[in-house]
Amino acid sequence: MPRPARYYALSGALLLIAALGMRTLPGVSGFVVRVLIALALCLLLAGLVKAVRSDACDDATPALRRRYLREFLPPMVGYVVAVFLSVWLLKRVEVPVLRALIALLPVPAIALAMRAIVRRIRDADELQRRIELEAVSVAAGCVSLGYLSAGFLQLAKVIDVAASDAMIWVFPLTCIVFGVAKAALGRRYS
Amino acid sequence: MDSRVRELREAQGWSQGELAERLAVSRQTVNAIETGKYDPSLPLAFRIARLFVQPIESIFHPADH
Repeated sequence: MPRPARYYALSGALLLIAALGMRTLPGVSGFVVRVLIALALCLLLAGLVKAVRSDACDDATPALRRRYLREFLPPMVGYVVAVFLSVWLLKRVEVPVLRALIALLPVPAIALAMRAIVRRIRDADELQRRIELEAVSVAAGCVSLGYLSAGFLQLAKVIDVAASDAMIWVFPLTCIVFGVAKAALGRRYS
Repeated sequence: MDSRVRELREAQGWSQGELAERLAVSRQTVNAIETGKYDPSLPLAFRIARLFVQPIESIFHPADH
């Protein structure tokens, strides 16, 4: 297994163990645990993609890859910190306006991460842009279709998913489907 | 579309990564062009032709099949 794949898999496994361990601790928010599990699954998926396709990171010039990591990783770390902070503060603040502001604390970090993704796609070379845009289309289509189907099922009272859970999972699900679609589409040109 | 990109690159002694760097594209893109899995845009084809100092039609030609 290539070294980067090992790093992704190891960090994903450690985060998953930590998240599952946190579930047993009293007072830990279920939302925080779900966010950590989602991040861990993304890392494990990245490890799997790197293990199957060791050249998966050859899809951008080194300069673009460096800029992307520089712009993407700090917001994601900030996002995790903001989620913890937000959950901690929400237990202590009762004023509605302040609660709204605190609840939205993680949003700027995600907006910055999305900006990094858009800049990467915009500055990628023509083949990579084609693959990325196809993957974005597939991800948008699959997630929209999934949510539409789930909406019908919920309307028919076949399933009962909390609205907050459903909304929170839109972005992670889109990212996961995008990653899988990109790996699959990229194989056509390998 | 068939191309002579691999032949020209190897004649220069460049790796796919080196050619990718000179063309400001990814290594995967160079590989896809060489294996005929991707037809480059006209601007990229002109960049390739300029790099190898060859007319564009001597590098790229329609596939036989």
